[in-house]
Amino acid sequence: MTKLLITEITRMGPAFCVIGLQHEQEKIQSIRPVPAFTNGWKHFPHQRGDILECALAPFPGAKPHVEDRVSTRGFEKSSTLREAETVTFLRKAEMAQSLPDLFDCPVHENKKGSGLFAMPNEAKRSICGCETQNLRLELCANELRATLALPSGEALRDLPVVDRDWRDFIEASLSPVRGANRAARLDRFLNSQFHYKIMSCPHHFIRLGLTRPFHDLCWLMLDTLFPLPRAEWLEEF
Amino acid sequence: MTRPSNTRSGEKDPLRRLVEKCFQREAGLSVPIPDENTNLIENGILDSMGWVSFLRAVESASGGAEFGSSLSERSASFASVLEALRNRGSNATDVSHFEAGPNASKTVAPAILTGSSAAVGSRIVPSEEVDRAFGMPAGKLRNRAGIESLAYVAQAENELTLAAKAAQEALRAAACGAQQLDWIVTSSETHHDYPSLSAQLHSRLLVRENCGALDVGGACLGLLNAFVFAQSLIGSGRAQTVAVVTADVHSRTLIPGRVAGEFGGLFGDGASAFVLRSAAGNDSSEGYRLGEFLFGCAGQYAAAIQVSDSKDGGLTVQFDGEALSRAAITRLEKVLASVELRSGIPRGSVGAFATHQPNPRLVVLLAKQCGVSPSTFPPVAQVSGNLGSSTCGAALHQALRSASKQGRHDRRPIFLASLGPGLLFGGGWLTPHV
Repeated sequence: MTKLLITEITRMGPAFCVIGLQHEQEKIQSIRPVPAFTNGWKHFPHQRGDILECALAPFPGAKPHVEDRVSTRGFEKSSTLREAETVTFLRKAEMAQSLPDLFDCPVHENKKGSGLFAMPNEAKRSICGCETQNLRLELCANELRATLALPSGEALRDLPVVDRDWRDFIEASLSPVRGANRAARLDRFLNSQFHYKIMSCPHHFIRLGLTRPFHDLCWLMLDTLFPLPRAEWLEEF
Repeated sequence: MTRPSNTRSGEKDPLRRLVEKCFQREAGLSVPIPDENTNLIENGILDSMGWVSFLRAVESASGGAEFGSSLSERSASFASVLEALRNRGSNATDVSHFEAGPNASKTVAPAILTGSSAAVGSRIVPSEEVDRAFGMPAGKLRNRAGIESLAYVAQAENELTLAAKAAQEALRAAACGAQQLDWIVTSSETHHDYPSLSAQLHSRLLVRENCGALDVGGACLGLLNAFVFAQSLIGSGRAQTVAVVTADVHSRTLIPGRVAGEFGGLFGDGASAFVLRSAAGNDSSEGYRLGEFLFGCAGQYAAAIQVSDSKDGGLTVQFDGEALSRAAITRLEKVLASVELRSGIPRGSVGAFATHQPNPRLVVLLAKQCGVSPSTFPPVAQVSGNLGSSTCGAALHQALRSASKQGRHDRRPIFLASLGPGLLFGGGWLTPHV
């Protein structure tokens, strides 16, 4: 049995991708439990911070998704950590200060337009945590995108935000029951209160991931943003 | 779902043309232009990454900001994009020049470049000598970077002497007296003394006391920064005549023992100068007219080059040559593509590309990437080295000099593009003033 601290729950189309931390031989490393025949979970009722007991089998996953493990039975929740405690463990796992260190490979700019990608055969991993000097979320034509500055001073733009809780929060904020000018109100929130709430939070932390190879490229995305959004924030705008 | 290409109803609509070109850049030329109301994501024409990328291209080409947010809760279609563009009411929708041609008049007074010059250090040193000085194998700069020689200042030369020489030549070429200058705008990546370069040049040229003097930064992007400032002064009516001058002396800063030869060996010393005049009240049809400029900063490359003073009086240089080369090619190509879209001038009809030249090899690569002849890039770095903020200026001066030998109606547009640490980028264009 493996104990896994759930740190990432991301949206991948209709499914969820899950990543957790495993403590093994004095080392804390990221593990991605996957169902036997797909890459994502249709249903995942757990939350980040949950410690789940599970059975995982090694899996010859294609690079750079070397964290993949096949889950051979269901998850059983044993306990839950608070958000700040979860981030404490994330800071002990894979970390980087600069762009080339994120996935231990060069990161390239999309020559045609926006976005950043790594080559599948160059990247050594598909998930990494980092502190940010600054971070901004933006709703760009219905697509949630993040722009952030790494400790090295490098700026990353237009990263798709796939964090399930943040995506749910944005969707809830745009729900028709919330009245008029929803997009403008959300825009104002993201440009004001959001920034303060995130950057002033002592356990502010992000994890960046790589997509599975798509047309032979792995695109960078924002997998997790701590602190997670709170339902009461919706009352503020 | 798609419209046949021979029935383009939007052929006369410049906004539609801009949107279609951006779409083709993203989706590829083989993908037919979709019907205006087709949802590009739902129909699988673009994925969400491609959709945002397409919008960023439109944003950049139209010169506007915050474009994506105006499309929230709208369908991912051409119709939404076009409507948002038309509703914006900013200068971004001022694309009439796409239709009317690059010389269409605008409400602001255009700035005309009426005289130019360039100067380089008087010591021309073979690159093999520089290899040796930096302790590198002889032939490294020539074989790896394509640099044949470097222009270094002689003992009596410095930024001021080079700048003054170039400025006086430019004033002479423009038939402009120094007392006619309303502003001197300078840029240098190596002159860090006070009085600043613009102040020293002000005194050296003996311009009027009430002629303004300003130094702008941006390192290798400095010339474009200076141009856009000068253009704004003229466009707003605050100035009639402005001198834009760059000067860089690297050979006293990037020296053996202080920096690695792979970095320091690339740089030479030079200056460039330009006289800009308002088209209002200037009857001459000589010169080139400044078009629009676009600027930005690709921060993901910020770590590729960093230079700072160290406590012991030395220089700390962080230089990832490979990453910087990749970034330079990608960004310069992107800038030139944006200039092409924004100006409506096809790159094939451009007479010269006055760009930054990190090294001659990269210029050849850039030309290949852009699908244009390397001969359209005036050779500056090959014979003088990378001149910092003066590279683009020296290239522009060479391009203007070549154009002046042609008949007035045979002259072709010139594209500008440059980069600076950060990674700052900028571009623009000039068209013959006829």
